[in-house]
Amino acid sequence: MKSKKKSYKWVPYLFLIPYLIAFFAFRFGPSIAGFFISLTRWNIVGQAKFVGFTNFVELFKDPNFIKSLVNTLYFMLLTVPSLVIGGLLIAMLVDQPLKGRMAARTFVFMPYVIMSTVVGVIWLWIFDTHFGILNYYLGFLGIKPIAWLSSINWAMPAVAIATVWWTIGFNMILFLAGLQDIPNELKEAARIDGASSWQVFWNVTLPLLTPTTIVVVMLTLINTFQVFAQVYVMTGGGPSLATLTVVQYMYVQSFQYYRLGYGSAIAYVIFMFLVAFILIEKKFLKRFGDEN
Amino acid sequence: MRFKTMLLVVVAVLVFGALSMAQPLQLAFWGGWTGPDGNVMRQLVAEYNSTHPNVHVTLTTMQWTPLFTKFLVSSRGGQSPNILAMHGPDVPEFASYGLLTPIGNVIKAAGFTAKDFAPAAWNGTFYDEKQYAFPLDLHMNSIYYNKKLFEKAGITPPTGWISGKEFLNMAIKLTIDKNGKHPGELGFDPNNIVQYGIALYSLNWHGFLEWYELLRQEGYDFLNPSMDKVGYPLEAGEKAWKWLQDLFFKYHVAPVGANSPLQDFLIGKTAMLEDGPWEIPAMKAQKGLEWGTFPIPQVFAHKAVWGSGHVLTIPVHQDKAHMKAAEDFVIWLVKHSDKWALSGNIPAYNPARKYASSLVGRNGFLKSAEYVAMLPRIPKESQVFSSASVSPIVVAGQNILVRNQDIMSVMKWMNQQIDMILAQ
Repeated sequence: MKSKKKSYKWVPYLFLIPYLIAFFAFRFGPSIAGFFISLTRWNIVGQAKFVGFTNFVELFKDPNFIKSLVNTLYFMLLTVPSLVIGGLLIAMLVDQPLKGRMAARTFVFMPYVIMSTVVGVIWLWIFDTHFGILNYYLGFLGIKPIAWLSSINWAMPAVAIATVWWTIGFNMILFLAGLQDIPNELKEAARIDGASSWQVFWNVTLPLLTPTTIVVVMLTLINTFQVFAQVYVMTGGGPSLATLTVVQYMYVQSFQYYRLGYGSAIAYVIFMFLVAFILIEKKFLKRFGDEN
Repeated sequence: MRFKTMLLVVVAVLVFGALSMAQPLQLAFWGGWTGPDGNVMRQLVAEYNSTHPNVHVTLTTMQWTPLFTKFLVSSRGGQSPNILAMHGPDVPEFASYGLLTPIGNVIKAAGFTAKDFAPAAWNGTFYDEKQYAFPLDLHMNSIYYNKKLFEKAGITPPTGWISGKEFLNMAIKLTIDKNGKHPGELGFDPNNIVQYGIALYSLNWHGFLEWYELLRQEGYDFLNPSMDKVGYPLEAGEKAWKWLQDLFFKYHVAPVGANSPLQDFLIGKTAMLEDGPWEIPAMKAQKGLEWGTFPIPQVFAHKAVWGSGHVLTIPVHQDKAHMKAAEDFVIWLVKHSDKWALSGNIPAYNPARKYASSLVGRNGFLKSAEYVAMLPRIPKESQVFSSASVSPIVVAGQNILVRNQDIMSVMKWMNQQIDMILAQ
């Protein structure tokens, strides 16, 4: 009887084995290999030459890498506030008991299911300087044609606009779920106590939405830091490197220049940033948990 | 019982052996033809398979960049394809990695000589004095023109090479602002142009290629003879950039920073487009568009146009039977490359090129075939002549043709960056 019980203890682990095999073969293993590759000079075909941390040292002297890092942070600055605040506002709007709210939710979420490359192509047309629909309508307001994708000042905001349009629906869904988790009784109690709509939002809704907000902010930070496809399609990183992002730079170094060691070093820097975001998120969530 | 079992085993072995022998030899053929050109190649492969029952060729297509990465990775694992297509300038890089089989003897044995091919295509198959590829085609820049817009402007389309001045006059006549005025006329409004003369690429690496062909028209090449440094006179480079820059900023005949010059041409917003023959299927597919081609203008002393060519290589890591079958297939493909002209590419094999002349819109390309100037062929081609956004040649083109920056300082920066890559 005792031995039978002992054997049962292993059963859950057996169920985990298929996933663990896939995880170690395709995720964990390559990640570890990637670190060792980042310590080499290697073009896939020849023998890898161990160079220690040279790639990392070189990386922080590389003006293109610094530029890509700054560009990525600028992109995050343009998109994260809009995606979080905009997502919350839209969620609150479509949470109201208004006619057609289900259709509105669908329309806002719909762009999110489109492939990133298709999003890029759609906006490439919309932003066309000479014949694009956006400049056509702006012309009615007396605004001269803007070189959205070929001006170093406008290219990144243009990519940010396309990204917000594409992904804001996802944040809306998360916030909507968070809003619907808040018991109505709490809001009603506040109103009975004489709170205005703004006071209800500020003192009841927003504090209770904090865990959702932390998750949304972190997911948005992580996703926007890894921006690639829409930039690749819309601007290719140009003009004059104005929209070059870190993931794109990693792609160029690894798969266009065949500098696998250098590309892996960039990947590890990206990984460090993502780890930092996750640690910050954990800290915030823990703090919120302690407070409650 | 034992005898029966033995008999069964023998029969099974014989049947299995016979079946294996009946199986055609499998050949993997990889190429980067992801557009309508891929369908043309697929038809050629199907024709080969139907006429050669002992061999079955499977064509795999994907974009060139991931295709080459896949090739490097699979070669690393000893699993190269049997035939790999690439461009002439790609040959030195992959040959220097030791991944391609020298096939000079095979080409000679098949009876091919330099005289059978367009010179640029033939020369594009060598590296380090060894021949590594069969030339398949050439594709070069040319000028597409909109017949209706030319007719409306009262311009007779050229049939051959014209001078830079003639071209510019034509482009000016074809550029119209909202009041119907042309560049240079009193009251012309460059901010309200409704039709441009020419669509030129300026945001991607084609901006550099448009400059490179002008540099070659001046009689210079980009790199020095030993191909370890930039080697053209700065004044010559400046003159070539200036000609292009003026089309955008002085004469206003080309839209600045156009995101999709092809689309602008297809919908009739620009009357001409400088592009390669790979756009022919898009031209044919555009309803109501009547189009033709003529060579790019000869702005300087010599005729020259940027071009490249697809070549067919036989990678290493394969047994003799597969190697022989791959060689036979490639020889057949070159000899039947007349049908490849349907993809828009101009066959490199002289007898096959005749068929291309009967097809619509090939005039400009055919008249340019003998003046093709390929990029210098060097082992560091993927970095020096990269189309990536970080590539110095791409950034230089954008700075001069989109941002109207000082040519000399941009050119000096570009040269310095290229020299650094070559010195690494």
